[in-house]
Amino acid sequence: MSATTYAWLVLAFPLAGTLVIALGWRVLFGRLAGWLGSFAILLSFAAGVGALLELLALPEEERSLTASAFDYASTAGLDADLGILVDPLSVFMVLVVSGVSFLIHLYSVAYIASDGGYARFFSYLNFFVFSMLLLVLAGNFVLLIVGWAFVGAASYLLISFWYRRMTATAAGIKAFVINVVGDVGLVLATFLLFQATGALDYAGVFTGAEEAFAENDGTLVAACLLLLVGAFAKSAQIPLHTWLPDAMEGPTPVSALIHAATMVTAGVYLIARTHPLFELAPAAADVAAIIGTLTLVMAATIALVVTDLKRVIAYSTMSQIGYMVLGVSVFAYGAGLFHLMTHAFFKALLFMGAGSVIGAMGGEQSLDRMGGFRKAMPFTFATFTLGALALAGAPLLSGFFSKDEILAFTIDRGGGYVILGVVGYVAALITAFYAFRMVFRVFFGKAAPEAAELARGGIHHADPQNPATGEVEDSDVGFPGPEHHVAERSAPMAAAMAPLALLSVVAGLVAIPGVTDTLEHFLEPTFADSRFIDVHPSESAEYIGLAVGGAIGLLGIAIAYVLYMRRPGVTLALRDRLRPVHSFLARKWYFDELLDALFVRPAAGFGRFGRTVVESALVQGLLVGGASGAVRAGTSFARTIQSGYLRAYALLLFVGVSGLALYFLIASA
Amino acid sequence: MLTIHLSIVIFLPLAAALLAAVLPGRAGRAGRWLVLAGTAGSLAYAVAMIADLDASSAGLQYVTDIAWISELGIRYSLGVDGLSLFMVALTTLLWFFATLAACLREWEHPRLFFFQLALAETAVLGVFCAQDLALFVLFFDLTLVPFYFLVGAWGERDRVRATTKLIIYTLVGSLLMLAGAVALGVLAAQESGGELSFALADLTERTLPEGTQQWIFVLFAAAFLVKMPAFPLHGWMPDAYRAAPIPVLILLSAVLSKLGAYGFLRVVLPILPDASLHFQEIVLVIAVVSILYGSALAFSQDEARLVVGYSSVAQLGFITLGIFSLDDLGAQGAVLQMVNHALVVGALFLVIGVLARRTGGSESLAQMGGIAMRAPVLAALFLVVGFATLAMPGTANFIGELLILFGAFESKLVFGIVASAGVALAAVYMIRFYQRAMHNRIGERVASRDLGVRELAVVAPLVLVIVALSVYPQLVLERTEAATVAKVERAQSLARGEPPAAPTAAAEGASP
Amino acid sequence: MTPVAQIEAPAIDYLQLAPILATLGGSIVVLMVGLLPGRFVQRALMPALTLVSLFAAIAFAVAIWEPGEVEPIVEGALSMDTLALGLSVLFYSAGVFTVLLSLRARAVREAGAGEYHSLLLASITGMTVLAAADNLVTVFVGFELLSIPLYVLCGSRVRSEPSLESGLKYLVIGSVGSATLLYGLALIYGATGATNFPAIAAALEGSVGATDPLFLTGVALSATGLAFKASVAPFHQWTPDVYQGAPTPITAFMAVATKAAAFAIFLRLFLDALAPAQPDWAPALAALAWTTIVIGNVGAIAQSSLKRMLAWSGVGQAGYMLVGVVVGTQLGLQATAFYLAVYLLMNVAAFAVVIARERRSEHGDGIRSLEGLGAASPWLAWPMTIAMLALAGIPLTAGFFGKFYLIEAAVEGGWESLGVAIVIGSMLSLVYYLRVLAVMWMGPIEIELPAPVGRVARRVKPVGGWSPEAGARAQPEVSAVAIAAAAATIVLGIVPGVLFDVAADVGPVFGTLL
Repeated sequence: MSATTYAWLVLAFPLAGTLVIALGWRVLFGRLAGWLGSFAILLSFAAGVGALLELLALPEEERSLTASAFDYASTAGLDADLGILVDPLSVFMVLVVSGVSFLIHLYSVAYIASDGGYARFFSYLNFFVFSMLLLVLAGNFVLLIVGWAFVGAASYLLISFWYRRMTATAAGIKAFVINVVGDVGLVLATFLLFQATGALDYAGVFTGAEEAFAENDGTLVAACLLLLVGAFAKSAQIPLHTWLPDAMEGPTPVSALIHAATMVTAGVYLIARTHPLFELAPAAADVAAIIGTLTLVMAATIALVVTDLKRVIAYSTMSQIGYMVLGVSVFAYGAGLFHLMTHAFFKALLFMGAGSVIGAMGGEQSLDRMGGFRKAMPFTFATFTLGALALAGAPLLSGFFSKDEILAFTIDRGGGYVILGVVGYVAALITAFYAFRMVFRVFFGKAAPEAAELARGGIHHADPQNPATGEVEDSDVGFPGPEHHVAERSAPMAAAMAPLALLSVVAGLVAIPGVTDTLEHFLEPTFADSRFIDVHPSESAEYIGLAVGGAIGLLGIAIAYVLYMRRPGVTLALRDRLRPVHSFLARKWYFDELLDALFVRPAAGFGRFGRTVVESALVQGLLVGGASGAVRAGTSFARTIQSGYLRAYALLLFVGVSGLALYFLIASA
Repeated sequence: MLTIHLSIVIFLPLAAALLAAVLPGRAGRAGRWLVLAGTAGSLAYAVAMIADLDASSAGLQYVTDIAWISELGIRYSLGVDGLSLFMVALTTLLWFFATLAACLREWEHPRLFFFQLALAETAVLGVFCAQDLALFVLFFDLTLVPFYFLVGAWGERDRVRATTKLIIYTLVGSLLMLAGAVALGVLAAQESGGELSFALADLTERTLPEGTQQWIFVLFAAAFLVKMPAFPLHGWMPDAYRAAPIPVLILLSAVLSKLGAYGFLRVVLPILPDASLHFQEIVLVIAVVSILYGSALAFSQDEARLVVGYSSVAQLGFITLGIFSLDDLGAQGAVLQMVNHALVVGALFLVIGVLARRTGGSESLAQMGGIAMRAPVLAALFLVVGFATLAMPGTANFIGELLILFGAFESKLVFGIVASAGVALAAVYMIRFYQRAMHNRIGERVASRDLGVRELAVVAPLVLVIVALSVYPQLVLERTEAATVAKVERAQSLARGEPPAAPTAAAEGASP
Repeated sequence: MTPVAQIEAPAIDYLQLAPILATLGGSIVVLMVGLLPGRFVQRALMPALTLVSLFAAIAFAVAIWEPGEVEPIVEGALSMDTLALGLSVLFYSAGVFTVLLSLRARAVREAGAGEYHSLLLASITGMTVLAAADNLVTVFVGFELLSIPLYVLCGSRVRSEPSLESGLKYLVIGSVGSATLLYGLALIYGATGATNFPAIAAALEGSVGATDPLFLTGVALSATGLAFKASVAPFHQWTPDVYQGAPTPITAFMAVATKAAAFAIFLRLFLDALAPAQPDWAPALAALAWTTIVIGNVGAIAQSSLKRMLAWSGVGQAGYMLVGVVVGTQLGLQATAFYLAVYLLMNVAAFAVVIARERRSEHGDGIRSLEGLGAASPWLAWPMTIAMLALAGIPLTAGFFGKFYLIEAAVEGGWESLGVAIVIGSMLSLVYYLRVLAVMWMGPIEIELPAPVGRVARRVKPVGGWSPEAGARAQPEVSAVAIAAAAATIVLGIVPGVLFDVAADVGPVFGTLL
């Protein structure tokens, strides 16, 4: 079979899974739905591997295949077919997405076991994977937008999966609307490109763009910025990031899959995919680089103070995606995508570990109540720590290589980019610190009662309530199920975490400077046209970078160790000392308030104004009331002159006649 | 090519209803099913035509053309091209399901009710098939009679005031159009020195001086914009929507609103191209305001019906935007969106009916909530419809809006950009509606249970059509392209400052 | 041997005169036979004889039907052309309907069947004369012959005060109208020195300039006089009062026949004799049309009595028809004639239902008398519904084409504004026409209705009881008339060809017109 056939299969399996589970929800007893879903993704991954092999069998310059199912919307000069593009980039994404997705499905089989919406969960999850794969395989902008919106929808459905939680539904609508804003950005960008190039498929647009636009052409820059709107909305970059922390309302596997490993990296993929445009419009690329840097440092600082375990990881995700965006927008595609992959591994792992801990806590997520799980949950502890080390960029682990490669490239660009690189290193220090802030606060220190209970072999069951607001809940459909699960007790969860732990350690080895460049080499055909394909920092520079990075990572960990293990309590003192700073960070730099004031309130106000004022005053009042009022006045007038007395009639008669006669006489004269 | 007599398609429902009305006693009770069969018949014809139509030609097909009132130059002239075809299709489809929904509940004076229902379908089909302006106006005005009774006699709250408002509003428009139509025919005849004729083909050939075109345009625009309705002429909408019984409401909102948009494409653009260009920006402003205002009100309503009602104002705003972008992309988008909007609105109102049955009859969002809990099927169907309504990429509605926006960008970028804000707003009001109804805490009077067989029988097929069309919107696009392009090409070439294209055979819709 | 003055009697083509003679003769015969006592004579014979003479007249009219210009008869006093005959047929059929509607009318018993029917026929004769008048003198003769019997008929319910009041009012105002008309005609004669229409037209084209003040004053005054009869605003005020007071069958007769007659002479005088002066009088009549349309429809909105409502709506409709006169084209003439025919059907249907209800309902002719009629007796409700829709100009009723035709005439004559006026009138009219439908079909619920003025509804409980069904069953002929007229309205709304052909025949009676 050709690579494209495999690609179609990659799409077909998750879709089939979705439909089967959705339609068969009544008959799929026990955990069948879960296993079905996982199996579908496994098949999809297998098909992905098949596509990979087929692709590798081809000579490099032919490693870009397209296939089309049928005309989707082609009329009046516009031509969009249901077509896919199979090239190293898309295959790389397919493998990462389907691979990680499979493990997370596996994890969920146990994690979500007792939930009332078991089948619904897996049909959503499969639908998400389908959408994500559609996004990365799409062969033209229209289909890209379709996948783009589908993942948004899936994310919405899964964020508000526990739909009777007000907090969850609120988070859902927020995420959805911000994502739609992104979609609109993409649509506008697509139009500008379509207008200039008359094409919608990637190849057509890219070649057309080179003819149509000079470097930094205004229209092109506008188009790229609009693409960035889409990318930032998905990848939670400033200022469209506020939905991601709230998205943690969703079940933990969802956070792991969608809001860490896959969907949120779509923006990075988009920039990489449309790199010919960005290289034609460096101005836009610089904007992306700067915003990426801002995001990575802002998110890192917030992660310092957040006490909700999942939200800490969420902010860390934003921060890491900031690195990737920085990477791809300084045209270090290999590095950016490399980090995308490693991040997918260790971040998914971190979330899974967090899920396991939260399970042990009976749904509680606050760091303040946790502690001392080291003994009770050795497996979770081990894997989580590995993930944290990778995140912190501890030497020889995956994050170590990938992050530092990005920064090395950035600094290598020289000029203003150096600043970005330095900021990146500073943020790396913070990253290492908050990563181990989690580790120490969760697994060390005084054992929480739940930890003790777990050690005794029981598992804590809080009476069902919303940890965020404390509202009372039941455990029926629409709320979390009654039971909780930890990796130590349920094989599927462990089985999912182990490989990820392994990958977080070794994944870095595919791109050791000067030793291996497997990944970059594989991706080369996609970026062959890039002007920066051969731009590399010198090996020495890379090694210096690695050294610095490793040192910074260890330093951060050390600081965390001192503050939380050696001298517990210092942090509280610090917080009181720096109250304003702390609250500024705790309020997430006031972005929620800002957007609220700028968009939400005005819109709502406009609606209220329309309902109360315009409808009653203008539409009903002036138009309807005015017209009918005039008529009513007329009728009453007619009634009054219609007195019924001849004398009155005679008067009007006289007026009439004389008027008529006068007219004639005047007209004649 | 099949030989299809459009007269049969049009009058089949009415005939069935008349028959049903005269059936004696016991048989009379079965009459409603007879009417349903009539609508099914028309639907079957429509499907056959979709399969059979020669998409490549913009010309009319299945033409019937006989002199009716020679003294007035009125011909009984029917025909279908890609544009009419899908209007007919959505009419018959929606009517079938609305009638079905009506058949499944009890009515006072059922014979009269179903008679009016069928008469309405005949009138609407007449509008979409008429190729003679006078005939068009005749059917257009005729639609109001049955709806006056359907809302007024079988309606709910404050029905008489609502229906009177509805009729006066819309008939005011229609009467102005009557004057406009007569003037158009007579003046065109005088201008060209030809026979008095209202045949659209002739009128397209006979170009009027711009001044005349303009005041006639105003008369037509009044009729069409009220029908849609567009801001600020939507005053009748809230009351009528509150009062109308669900099956009638479906037709009112899904089909009747399209008469206006269709009229613009069928009559105004081809026959009054200069005026269309002259008033382009004014109409675009109306369209954009309708989009933003409709959306804003949609997400600040508590009554489910009005959420959908105002969303329709916004959706029709998009359609108008597409038409008056005077660009073939925009027009194509408008046509596709007409079909989509009809489908989703129909489904939405059916869903609202279902929801009301689970909230003790209340249609206020405040009373709803958590209905999804024991009703996964309902939730799923509603979700699909909701996503379609907010034009999520992957649905045909998205393709419709995409084309509309592209058209608008092409011709008037600013309007396009402002309008695209409406896309985001749509997400707000639709998701809000969905959540308030299906999610969140369970409303105190809510009894959550899943769709019954009858309910499913009405809702599910519509949703299937929506999905099918989302997978393959090309079905509509490829058949409508030739006709639609022909309708806009004169105005478009004027807008682009090209030498005004002499109306081609396509533009005239010349009958073979 | 004293010389004997030799007076040569004018040569008269009696065949042409036949329709007039039929009704005139009928009137006399009926009057005589009416003197015979006996229930049979009074209840059956009178109506029968009247119908005979009316149908005879119709038959003659059809027999001598001869499209195009015809030679005037009786020394140019009358010309029985298609316009005259066509409209006469309207008068006759109006008469037939009136007779049927009067079968059980109190008025007939109170006034005496003989007098009642004979007066009716006399009035109809006058109308025919008027419609055929080709000479100023004939105009006035016909005018009076039409009016005087009507004054009496309005007052024919001698025991009912409103009826007498209405008769008196009509008499006074009518006489003023006649006087004005007479002055007008005199002045025209004075200015042109001719009484024959063709001669007047010739004079206007020739020696007498159309700007002669004497002449124009004449036109103004005669226009006023005719405006009275046609109840054109601002000379319409008698209409509601008289219509309400008069016995309803007579009201129906006046509403349709008198209006038709008035427009007949409007057309004759202005499109034949005064055609050359059209540029001078057209704007004035256009102004009248506007006022009439607006006042009529606005006035109707406030009415709670159906008879008054129909009276006002009649005023409005007169405004529409005046448009046909203003444009002064052959098409205008045809449109007006066409509309007159349609107008007859619509109003007869409506009045028939009013009669049926007022005889039974405690609300008399109040709009409430129709409450719930749709459910209770559809055979009355449907005709009323159709009549209302037709008057409002809804498609598939003859009313739609009537309006269409008039608008077309207006636009074609270069009077687009009048076309719009008609449309605006129709908009206003919706308010009260739809209200009637609502009361019939959408009850029982509170509908905002205007408060009744003047006379409150009577409280006498007739034997039949209030039940509407009883109302329908007890007077089949009324329902029959209503249904027949309504049916005709619908049929002509779907296949109006016949009527258009007739209108086309009526068109070319004046060679001068384009």
